[in-house]
Amino acid sequence: MMLMISNALLVLCWIYIAFGLLGIFRFRNVYARLLTGSKIDTAAMITLLLALMLRSGSWAFSAKLLVILLFIIVTTPIGSHIIARSAFDSGLPVKLIEEELIGADSDPEEGGD
Amino acid sequence: MILATIYVIIAAIFLLALKAAFGPTVWDRLLALNLISAKTVMLLTAYSVYTGDLRLLDISMSYVIVGFLGVALLSSFILRGGRQK
Repeated sequence: MMLMISNALLVLCWIYIAFGLLGIFRFRNVYARLLTGSKIDTAAMITLLLALMLRSGSWAFSAKLLVILLFIIVTTPIGSHIIARSAFDSGLPVKLIEEELIGADSDPEEGGD
Repeated sequence: MILATIYVIIAAIFLLALKAAFGPTVWDRLLALNLISAKTVMLLTAYSVYTGDLRLLDISMSYVIVGFLGVALLSSFILRGGRQK
């Protein structure tokens, strides 16, 4: 029973890794890539560590895996947020996807205010 | 099943290394570096449970700290102006 739940969580971890790679290679904006990469990678890490905790029999393994899981939950989103803050403070423009499509369709009007 | 997971993680690390080599901006490379360090921790824990070796978990626990410090220091270095300043 434990082994079946662990196998299901491992398959879920494969799916998360595949979607994270798809998002990283598919999106064109840096902030969108940061969003999908960090979020899906944290989800894959949580599911993998839960599956390994269910699979490993002894208490020492489970306690150390729990400590690693807490570390990962704290540090991985903070690292991605630091990268996004560095990109925003260095002057990389935040552009929405609709704005890119509208700007590609019609000519941008210069001047104005 | 764990062995197949290890192969999937190795393929993901290879694709992310390609992204880190050919990324358009600096922050793409930093993102790829962050994800590679997280994938390395996953690989170490999976291999530790696969072989039943308890000492590899300590190494992966220290690798979390090293990867986070590397990303934070490189990001602040780029924010301060990089090498041109």
